[in-house]
Amino acid sequence: MATKGINRLTPYMFMAPAAIIMGIALLYPLGYMVYGSFRDWNPSQTIGESEFVGLKNYITLFYDPAFRESLSVTLTFAFAVVFAELLLGVGLALLLDRNIRGMSILRTLFILPMMIAPVVVGLMWRYMYHPTVGTFNRFLESIGLEGVDWLGQHALMSVIIADVWQWTPFIFILSLAALQSLPRSALEAARIDGATPWQQIIHIKLPLMMPVLIVTALLRLIDAFKVLEVILVMTEGGPGLSTEIVALRISRTATEFRELGTAAAMSNYLLILLLLLTLSMFAVTKLQEARAARLARQIQEED
Amino acid sequence: MSYERQNPAFYALLVALIFMAVGPIVLMFANSFKLDVDIISGTSGLLFLPTIQNYETALCDVLWYEPDHIDFCALKFGGAFINSLIIALVSTALTLVIGCMAAYALVRFRFMGRDTASLTTLMVRMVPPAVLLVPVFGLWNNEFCIGKTTWLGSLIRESLGGRGDVCLAGTHSGIILVYVAMNLPFVIWILQSFIVQVPRSLEEAARVDGAGPFQVFFKVVLPLIKPGLAAAAIFTFRIAWNEYLLASALSDRDTKTVPILIVNNMSEFNVEWGVIMATGMLLAIPPIIFTLFASRQIITGMTAGAVKG
Amino acid sequence: MLTTLKRAALGATTAIVMAGAALANPYADYAGTTLVVNFPAHPHYNAVMKILPEFTKETGIEVEVDQLPYLKMRERQTLELAQDEGDYDLIAYVVFSKADYVYADQLENLARYFMNPKLADPNYDADDLIDGYVYNIGFAGGNKGYLEGKTGSLFGVPYGSETSILGYRKDIFEKHGLEVPETYEEMLDIACKIPELEPGMGGLSSRAASGHHASHAFLLHLAPLGGRVFDDNWNPIVNNAAGVQAAEALKQIVDCGPEGATSFGFGEALGSFLAGDTAMFLDTTVVAGQINDPARSQVVGKVGWAMHPMGTRRGSQTGGFGIGIPKNAEHKEAAFLLMQWLTSKAGDKMVALAGGNPSRFSTHADADVNAKFPHMATFGEALKHADPDWRPIIPVWGKINADLGTTLSKVLTEDLDIQTALDGVAERTKAVMDEAGYYTWQ
Repeated sequence: MATKGINRLTPYMFMAPAAIIMGIALLYPLGYMVYGSFRDWNPSQTIGESEFVGLKNYITLFYDPAFRESLSVTLTFAFAVVFAELLLGVGLALLLDRNIRGMSILRTLFILPMMIAPVVVGLMWRYMYHPTVGTFNRFLESIGLEGVDWLGQHALMSVIIADVWQWTPFIFILSLAALQSLPRSALEAARIDGATPWQQIIHIKLPLMMPVLIVTALLRLIDAFKVLEVILVMTEGGPGLSTEIVALRISRTATEFRELGTAAAMSNYLLILLLLLTLSMFAVTKLQEARAARLARQIQEED
Repeated sequence: MSYERQNPAFYALLVALIFMAVGPIVLMFANSFKLDVDIISGTSGLLFLPTIQNYETALCDVLWYEPDHIDFCALKFGGAFINSLIIALVSTALTLVIGCMAAYALVRFRFMGRDTASLTTLMVRMVPPAVLLVPVFGLWNNEFCIGKTTWLGSLIRESLGGRGDVCLAGTHSGIILVYVAMNLPFVIWILQSFIVQVPRSLEEAARVDGAGPFQVFFKVVLPLIKPGLAAAAIFTFRIAWNEYLLASALSDRDTKTVPILIVNNMSEFNVEWGVIMATGMLLAIPPIIFTLFASRQIITGMTAGAVKG
Repeated sequence: MLTTLKRAALGATTAIVMAGAALANPYADYAGTTLVVNFPAHPHYNAVMKILPEFTKETGIEVEVDQLPYLKMRERQTLELAQDEGDYDLIAYVVFSKADYVYADQLENLARYFMNPKLADPNYDADDLIDGYVYNIGFAGGNKGYLEGKTGSLFGVPYGSETSILGYRKDIFEKHGLEVPETYEEMLDIACKIPELEPGMGGLSSRAASGHHASHAFLLHLAPLGGRVFDDNWNPIVNNAAGVQAAEALKQIVDCGPEGATSFGFGEALGSFLAGDTAMFLDTTVVAGQINDPARSQVVGKVGWAMHPMGTRRGSQTGGFGIGIPKNAEHKEAAFLLMQWLTSKAGDKMVALAGGNPSRFSTHADADVNAKFPHMATFGEALKHADPDWRPIIPVWGKINADLGTTLSKVLTEDLDIQTALDGVAERTKAVMDEAGYYTWQ
């Protein structure tokens, strides 16, 4: 009897520390944020001293052109980086999926950028983009071209390039792993049937990699919404609002404009957006899994 | 194992790729040994007289001698480095132990609320740190406090000094708590896929020998998922080590971490490229070492994290 | 632990000194105290860091400095000052924080300290402090709430006073026979001539980056060109003719400026002047030290100084920092002693010699200071024309400033029409002011 009781409690005992910590420092704060988003609240007040204003913060934000702009910057940034990284990462993986000496060293060097602090990545690129001192403009000038106003006129593009530099390896490594775990038999069969490398890629490799690719892309997409430090260090959101992603706007609203309520409402908008993305990720994964299973079965049957 | 021979263009591409991946880091490394005048004038290119002056400026608070070129120690990088180390190491250790236990429960037991727990874990993984900024700032500063007149509060104030109510904000524990919470979902997620692979028969054998559930977990399961633990540890450490936003909202002058120091040092009056590059390099060194020595674990971890939807 | 030991040791020393001399040392009661102060990372306060050991030696009061970039410093203070008991005993605050802090009742009124015979130094000579700065930085509650006026009183003392000044490359001006500009027209004209005369060189380097920087650069031109942000009834008038003219001036300066000027913060703008990429620099006086520092500057000895050019009037900026005592400080009296020591005649001179910006008339006229820094005389002259009302210091300014700065940045980078842009700013400002209650009495 006693042992049975212990057995039933065991999983809860294993779960308890994680549940408590996530409850205190993740779920409760999220609830607190929702509560705060209905209040006119500044950093010198405790939340109890603040005034209840209903949906005012949400409505103001909805009609606030600056917030809308930063929302569109965020979406542009997130989708642009994921698209570019996917293209480059998968392309490189297909190209480098060969049995060559030094592949592991190559992979090691490739993951260096993504292990380095975003703050450091930001300052490295800020230096390289510097209009006069920076590496790029110096190079352009040395070959007789005119310098580019990287962080001025083309700030969003420059920020995207920096992120692509940092995160393409992520997609590359995952696609490479996916490629190398493809069923050899299917590829072998295709080769015997006389499929060209291109046909192999389009008809066999890509469809089989698809589930992994979609998950990877969605993971990157969610991560792209978390980017903050790189942009903060490189441009601080400028010029204008051209690189002011929502995460940065939240932090500015909270610290610079001292409007915690509005910042909380903004966080909520961002959270809802991400929630929708995550849900679609679930749905797509499930769908893809089913399709991939069917596909794998088909190939096996053809064997 | 035989290697395929490739044509030269392929190797040229490889070299170009490596150059692109590592170039900026090498550039930062080189610049950290240059004087500002050399960086700005740029005429010297790769030929320059290396100086450790930038590192001396950065580390002035832990050096045993006083460098000649600075009048006072403004940066205090050493202290921040120690704060970063404490916070990153402690939070990584805690996250691993706690996350591992939770992952084990989710994989091995059927219990009420399991699905909810599993789903919640997955969902909170997407929460960006920026979203936590406002609530964490409010809670850690105002709500998660012990009054200084209470028994515990006065005890802390008397032994550790400081003023006002004892709050989580401004302490190492405050930052560690957020980091553990932030990293847990990821760690739980990634470790599940490793625990699934542990053969049940081993655990049952141990149980037959009279081991309790915790003994089974610590003596049988943990050693078997070492590669997973290593991968999870590296990723957790990386986030805790590199994070800026929440740390900057929660730390005070004694608990600043290195990323805060670097961002602060890019103040508008002195863009001292040399010193900034030196601090950046110092912050980047631990992750670089990890990468060079444990790249296999990192790749395993990444793959496990993504493949398991 | 170490500090406790130190404290104990110091306490013992002072006890011995007191027993031995038993003289009236005003600092004796506070020797051994450790003050925690919050200063910005700023050239003037870097100079202060150099003279602080002197204070400790003289008084036995230890000082622990938390130095932060000034915008960060403001964030930190927002939080610290709101606590019941704060960490900081003395803070340096940016001019525009004055309104927030005083309005939230977070700074000590200094009357109590200057009245206290045990604390106030009879030789302090407050009349020697530059009037404009005392009113601009330290005074609150006067006309419009932030200017000199009968209802105001003192909450801080100016420390690290800045005004705007024009730096120009003597060698370049000589080479092309250019006259040092006296008026805005001449300055803008030369600014756009330089890129033609000296290919690759920009005319004037100005800050222009989104936010505070762009707003600051715009306001710098607004006052001399005869404009204001508000009229006397708090109606926004940034979009009148003078406002448009100021924005046009800014745009012209950036267009004829060095490469990448649209993303320049203060650091980049100064950096480009230091690197010899621009012929002129119009901003705060605080840069003099760096321009003469061969480790950072390639234009040492080539820079001449002139007054901020005239538009319809002289109106250089007033800016910089003041120091004040937070209401929630632990060692208020010792903090006052430090504040008094730093801003005294001797302290002001010492910090000027260390490369700081003096806040006293006497220091600007001082022979030693002028011998070391020949530009000090021009700076002193410029101070006389400093305009305390070039920027409104009201609690809602932060929000208006941010809006103004981002909108102007759009003008500079996205070719937004100037009149439309400023009309938008005026409209949003009006709403902000209305919400804050500025039109209650109309």
